[in-house]
Amino acid sequence: MKGNLKLSSLFIALLGVFLFTTSFQNLYAQNAKKNKVRLKAYYVKIMNEEVYFDINASSRIDNKNVNVANIDLTVYNEYDDEKIELGTIKTDMNGAGRCVVKDFNSIKPDSTNSYNILISFKGNEDFSRASKRLTFRNANIKANLITKDSINYITASLLDVSKDSLIGDASLTVQVQRLFQPLFVGEEFYITDESGTIVVPVEEGIPGVDGNLTIEVVLSDSDDYGTVKAIVIAPIGKPIVDESTFDQRKMWSPRNKTPIFLLIFPNIIIFGMLGLIVYLMFNLFKISKSKTKTNIYLKQKT
Amino acid sequence: MKNYDKLLNDLAPRKFGKRGAIWTIFLIVIIVAGLIAYIDQVIKGQVVTNMRDYALWGIYISNFVFFVATSFVGSVTVAILRLTNNTWRTPLVRIAEIISLAAIVMAGLTIMIDMGRPDRLLNLFIHARLQSPITWDVIIVPTYIVFSFLLLYFPLLPDLAILKKHYNKTKPKFSKWYGKLALNWTGSNAQKAIQEKSIKIIAIMIIPIGILLQTIDAWLFSTTYRVGWDSTNMGAYFISGAFVAGVGALVTMVWIIRKVRKLESYITDSHFDRLGKLLVLACLIYLYFNINEYLLPIFTAPVQEDIHLNALVSGEYAPLFWFAQIVGLILPIIILLFKKGRKPLPMFIVGFMVVIGSWWKRYIIVTPTLLHPFLPIEGVPESWHHYFPSLHEWLITAATLAMALLIITIMVRYLPVIPIQRTADEQEFLKTNKNTES
Repeated sequence: MKGNLKLSSLFIALLGVFLFTTSFQNLYAQNAKKNKVRLKAYYVKIMNEEVYFDINASSRIDNKNVNVANIDLTVYNEYDDEKIELGTIKTDMNGAGRCVVKDFNSIKPDSTNSYNILISFKGNEDFSRASKRLTFRNANIKANLITKDSINYITASLLDVSKDSLIGDASLTVQVQRLFQPLFVGEEFYITDESGTIVVPVEEGIPGVDGNLTIEVVLSDSDDYGTVKAIVIAPIGKPIVDESTFDQRKMWSPRNKTPIFLLIFPNIIIFGMLGLIVYLMFNLFKISKSKTKTNIYLKQKT
Repeated sequence: MKNYDKLLNDLAPRKFGKRGAIWTIFLIVIIVAGLIAYIDQVIKGQVVTNMRDYALWGIYISNFVFFVATSFVGSVTVAILRLTNNTWRTPLVRIAEIISLAAIVMAGLTIMIDMGRPDRLLNLFIHARLQSPITWDVIIVPTYIVFSFLLLYFPLLPDLAILKKHYNKTKPKFSKWYGKLALNWTGSNAQKAIQEKSIKIIAIMIIPIGILLQTIDAWLFSTTYRVGWDSTNMGAYFISGAFVAGVGALVTMVWIIRKVRKLESYITDSHFDRLGKLLVLACLIYLYFNINEYLLPIFTAPVQEDIHLNALVSGEYAPLFWFAQIVGLILPIIILLFKKGRKPLPMFIVGFMVVIGSWWKRYIIVTPTLLHPFLPIEGVPESWHHYFPSLHEWLITAATLAMALLIITIMVRYLPVIPIQRTADEQEFLKTNKNTES
């Protein structure tokens, strides 16, 4: 009886400790200070291709800027007190995500012809809710390749679509697309004239696959228009000669393309060695089968 | 006849005493500890080691290179001395052959230990690329094991037959085994002719095979474009280093076996003197290659090479680097240049210094280079920039060294460490010569 009482008291005490610590944790969790998420957003339009929003999420934790990975963000188009959802994304390990809008016409402007985008984060256990607003106007770049007096030029015009007017005094960059970093054509940037146009000569001899240069005309991160990019495929480059040894028998080729000399000589050595080993084993066999005359010391011992 | 009986009693294998038994148990304990660590490594993966993206070759590979180097003693001491008909080699050759076989067998095992997935070992043969030095290594190591075994086995045949007779009455079980291994050896002219011819072929062939083995081992490194490895000197550098490690190991083992088995009348001071001269020659050649290897890059070093050399000469690896150079090379040369330094005990100490120095030297060749790549790896933890073996690695490596010593111990226990037949032949020859002269 006494033993039962002790056991039940112990059980109640343990249960008490468990419940207390659980509720304490809940209290602590409610009071815990959540970190703030900082959102950055960029609007990018590629002519005749796609429109997307590049978004970065970061947070200041322990006096360090940390990328916030794996959070869900929703992108809305704000229009007449309405919020039209354009898509949702999840940030990657670098806290980055891209929301692609397939049809630009699905985004609606306000009365001032500005497009208002809201990026919203609902918050989670670690981070409090956050949002970011982005406003831009629609601009187009029309770019062409022309040849005058055997010199190739890129001409580009920057147009405000809502006003249907060309934009002067804006800086455009002309560059050739490359794997790691674009290659500037001429100056780092060119300012559009009164008619919103630039004319940039393209120097000869820029290498390109099959002689094609992918030339970009870019309005970079403009306050009013975001980033707008027009791409021109120009067959004016110096063709890159493929010097690949992929199909040749080289030291770095796969095993089915081993150089012939490396098949012949090492195999001669390998099979020569194997032949010798077989011969020596055979000699051991011959020794075991040949026992005619006894050695002097063995005789003496026996 | 009396002399022959004494010779047989002196040279026939003998049961271990108390010290021998303790030594064997000690080795077995280390091996078991290593085996447990290895099983854990296989289960958990190589995360239990301290090898990471930078130091992807660690203590296992340096240990492998050490074993490969030590196995060279079979080619040098045995084959060269045999072919040049140096009669003083007789009491030393079998010990050298035993070390050679034990070392190369353990080299083969060590390389398997370094494999993350040892169950895929067969893929090395099935998917072998002849362009890869790894493939050459996979081919040459088993070949060298076979030739080392045959180099030990062929000269053993007459001795095994003698032991069969010797133990016929006292230990019939032993006698039966020796008889089986002796392959019906009677010492007939036909058998002798086949044996001598075979030994000559092996003695000739094991020299190029040994050189190939060391060179391929060196090319494993020098075909990789890395600071400290990218050198045309590497093949010769490794061969000379193997010469030093091999003869150093031989000197040490010869002294221990001589003392334990009381073979002072067979392995004399003169043998140590000659081995000392061989070792000092090896050390001088290796010193020359070391100067080539380290001095020239000091003049021509690009930035990365400079960082690497600084780490060796005055940085993180300086204590080990100077230990390997001074204790493993320079001090032995100074000691061995004096006749007193070539006496048995000093020779043992020097041999031991050389072996320890040689082991750390391989560590110095492998690890610091990996920590100084031409293209640094981005975004790795700071700890990956340094390497020191984990407990698992130490246990497994100690076990491989213990296993090599156990193979040698077992062979010393059951085989005549000094060729009985050949020693008897030589003593008979000397006696006949003396009689003729008188």
